[in-house]
Amino acid sequence: MYKAILLLIASLSLVNFGVNALAQSAQLSPQALVQDAIEKQRAGDLEGAVTEYREFLKLHPEATAIHSNLGAALAGLGRFEEAVGEYKIALRQSPRLPGARLNLALAYYKMGRISDAATQLEKVHAEDPANHQAVLLLGDSYLRMGENKDVIRVLAPEEKKYPDDVAIAYMLGTAYIRNKQPELGQVLVDRILRNGDSAEAHLMLGTAKMGIQDYAGARDEFQKAVALNPNLPEVHGLYAQALHLTGDSDQSNKEFKAELANDPYNFAANLQLGANAREDENYDAAEQYFTRALATRPGDPGARYQLALIAIEKGKLDAARETLESLVKASPQFAEAHVSLSLVYYRLKRPADGKRERDIVQKLTADAQAKQPGVKQQ
Amino acid sequence: MKINRREWIRLASLTGAALAAPRAFAQKPEPLFVEIPPSVSGITWVHENAMSPTRYLPETLGPGCAFLDFDNDGWMDIFLVNSGPSDFWKPSQPVRNALYKNNRDGTFTDVTAKAGVGGEYFGMGVAVGDYDNDGWPDLFVTAYGKCILYRNNHDGTFTDVTEKAGLATPGWTTSAVWFDYDGDGKLDLFICSFVDYSGVKKLECGSNQIGKNYYCVPRLFKPTASFLYHNNGDGTFTDVTKGTAIASALGKGLGVVATDINNDGRMDLFVANDTVQNFLFVNRGPGANGQWKWDEIALQAGVGFSEAGRPRSGMGVDAADLKGNGWQDLFVANVDHEFYSVYENNKDETFRDVAQGNGVARATRLMSGWGLKYFDYDNDGEIDLFLANGHPDDMIDSYSMQVKYREPLLLFHQGADHKLHDVSENAGPAFQRDYAARGLAVGDFDNDGALDVLVGNNGAAPLLLKNNAAKGNNWLGLKLEGVTSNRDAIGARISWEAGGKVRRMLKTSGGSYLSSHDPRVVLGIADATIVDAVEIHWPAPSKQVDRLTKVGPNRYIHVVEGKGIVASNDSHTQKSAGQANS
Repeated sequence: MYKAILLLIASLSLVNFGVNALAQSAQLSPQALVQDAIEKQRAGDLEGAVTEYREFLKLHPEATAIHSNLGAALAGLGRFEEAVGEYKIALRQSPRLPGARLNLALAYYKMGRISDAATQLEKVHAEDPANHQAVLLLGDSYLRMGENKDVIRVLAPEEKKYPDDVAIAYMLGTAYIRNKQPELGQVLVDRILRNGDSAEAHLMLGTAKMGIQDYAGARDEFQKAVALNPNLPEVHGLYAQALHLTGDSDQSNKEFKAELANDPYNFAANLQLGANAREDENYDAAEQYFTRALATRPGDPGARYQLALIAIEKGKLDAARETLESLVKASPQFAEAHVSLSLVYYRLKRPADGKRERDIVQKLTADAQAKQPGVKQQ
Repeated sequence: MKINRREWIRLASLTGAALAAPRAFAQKPEPLFVEIPPSVSGITWVHENAMSPTRYLPETLGPGCAFLDFDNDGWMDIFLVNSGPSDFWKPSQPVRNALYKNNRDGTFTDVTAKAGVGGEYFGMGVAVGDYDNDGWPDLFVTAYGKCILYRNNHDGTFTDVTEKAGLATPGWTTSAVWFDYDGDGKLDLFICSFVDYSGVKKLECGSNQIGKNYYCVPRLFKPTASFLYHNNGDGTFTDVTKGTAIASALGKGLGVVATDINNDGRMDLFVANDTVQNFLFVNRGPGANGQWKWDEIALQAGVGFSEAGRPRSGMGVDAADLKGNGWQDLFVANVDHEFYSVYENNKDETFRDVAQGNGVARATRLMSGWGLKYFDYDNDGEIDLFLANGHPDDMIDSYSMQVKYREPLLLFHQGADHKLHDVSENAGPAFQRDYAARGLAVGDFDNDGALDVLVGNNGAAPLLLKNNAAKGNNWLGLKLEGVTSNRDAIGARISWEAGGKVRRMLKTSGGSYLSSHDPRVVLGIADATIVDAVEIHWPAPSKQVDRLTKVGPNRYIHVVEGKGIVASNDSHTQKSAGQANS
């Protein structure tokens, strides 16, 4: 089921070479060079292929498909930043070049820039709605970004077309549960359960239990999911969250680290481990975690706030102020950011601004207190 | 129960040896603190927490405790606060506070009935202070229901003078502190108010993860303003809260310490609040309109919220000059996963939390802290830290993998690196056991110069710990008596020189949680054999500085403002040794 997505990620860069396009674009004199590069790429000599593609592009920088091929070779070497550059050149020259946008999306995905991947996948999906692989990846990207409504928008129609696709059932069911539509999620959980005891089923059940704050129950479900398939995306991260909420911080941290071993750009793992590192005053490590979290969810207020806190600790008050001002502008109810912004203003010797923020904190505190449900009246 | 001193020492050492036996096999060091069990001390009183199926919140917050010398015999007695009748509980059997007189041999006698301090309400904490400057300590007992001011009658009895004094404070009060905020030589009173718990008969918070009622998180309840009472000097007090920052700061106060955070000579207040920000009330002196001016600066000072901008569950609190640099540092104990805070004074009315660098954060990650005290437990001249812990939810073990209802005590020793190091593991068997600890008071009940510890446990017997850690180090004890300044000399600045080192301290007031400490001051001098000089700057309105020179160690001296040493508990007192008043 979910393996399908992983296989897709592993294989897409190889299936979109665009050799035919290459033959049309390349000039005769360097054709041998290009053919040799292609053969090297097919044979796994990616370094050799990169060298020859670059030689060729010096002579013919307008060769759109060669930029795309070079991107694929670079991606195969794990040099995603360079690959992205080549794909972008190819797409600038030929926006509808077959496979290039999907490959660009894959490169972003592997870099942990899930939001950028989703942007590209949306375009692929718009151009080619029948591309099932692109839809799967798009749903997965939105799930990682926490954009549950988008997961539902993209995958609900797909689920009707592929009712037996367990990967879709899993992602869509998880999104329903997270979107507080448990009855729809339950239908998909049942479908997965009919296939027997599976990691995906326990993961979804755990997610559902988290939603109703049954953290101990969720922890037990996630534990089973980990035992059945430790490579299932997010399984360690979710187990870690449940462990954290049931008070087992040590084991929680281990599971978050296990999640990052599977997926270095897992948002929740990076956020929590970053917060731990910041609390331990290990600011450089914390910055790395939060930067990776932001790669997955650009602009995430929580991760940006954590980076602002590190800036305060490092004495970079102006940098912290800029981030905090932006955060409270975007999220006026973000009380913690107002607290920190007030503190920064006072330290920057701007007491009037500090007092203004402090007054906001007090108002937010009073508003929050007023909203407390109080206690049950017998 | 009375036994002689020799017998007591034998029993105490036997107890220590017995308890320490398993450690001896592991070649562990001698316990730093040894429990004196009720069978030895005679303290058989047990706290009644009134725990009900409904789980009313006041049940889990007490009790406080105190060391005080109520009969002025030079030996620390013990006061223990109990719950009592309230609008949610009617005891089936009488419930009372306890006053234990120190028999001077390590045992205590219950004198509560004669003293008349049994209480009438659901007691919480106690603040001891000589508010009428008559030389006899008085008791202020906080409560859910009604506070009581017990005036000391000098004959072993007390009189409830609450109404006459104008201190009938409404609501739910917790910690209180005596201090002289306006420098008129009379002790004023600050009282922490917790939450609005009115209509309590109808309250419950529903069921927890195991389907039972549990103690409501204080976040649910409305915050309240604390109280500041000015001492009129005629046995009455005036509520001067109105119109000040204290009135407008709505909190859920649990702990308070009076200290001077900016060295301006005026006593400030640091208040630990539960689930809302802490308060730092800085004393700015008389305002233009004649009203005293207080600024609440906790947020900008960096002590109001966690570093992540969140309010924490502040409970216990203290202040001391941790590094000996002449500036008061602060401490707050919070609930589990919030870490406790060690606030280092930046000398500009701001602080920095250095709990992580001190190892306090890591050691307290799973703890919930209440009573605590910064003090030099081994008399090496450096301030150490003692923490009493316990989670407020008695069912937390059922749904938390790591957090427990009963938690161990923690002891930190300040090393040569001026950092606090967790030495609990080797502090003795008492540190290997778990308690639902709440109040904590420090005092030298056996007058050996080593400060002992009393812990009030929720729904259980108190824990009395004898300090064995100061053996080998020398000390000098001071009983300070103000004349124009307040008689308890709260706010006095003391510096002492011994062994080539100059150390200093401020006589703060309050701190810990619901509790009151031995009012005397013990100056640790490590292996120095004489105190070369002691300088006492008496608090306002006095401008007196008394300087004592070449003072012999290991004894308590009674120092009166402007008169120097007037008495000593030791036959080696050198009464003529270079006293000089300025």
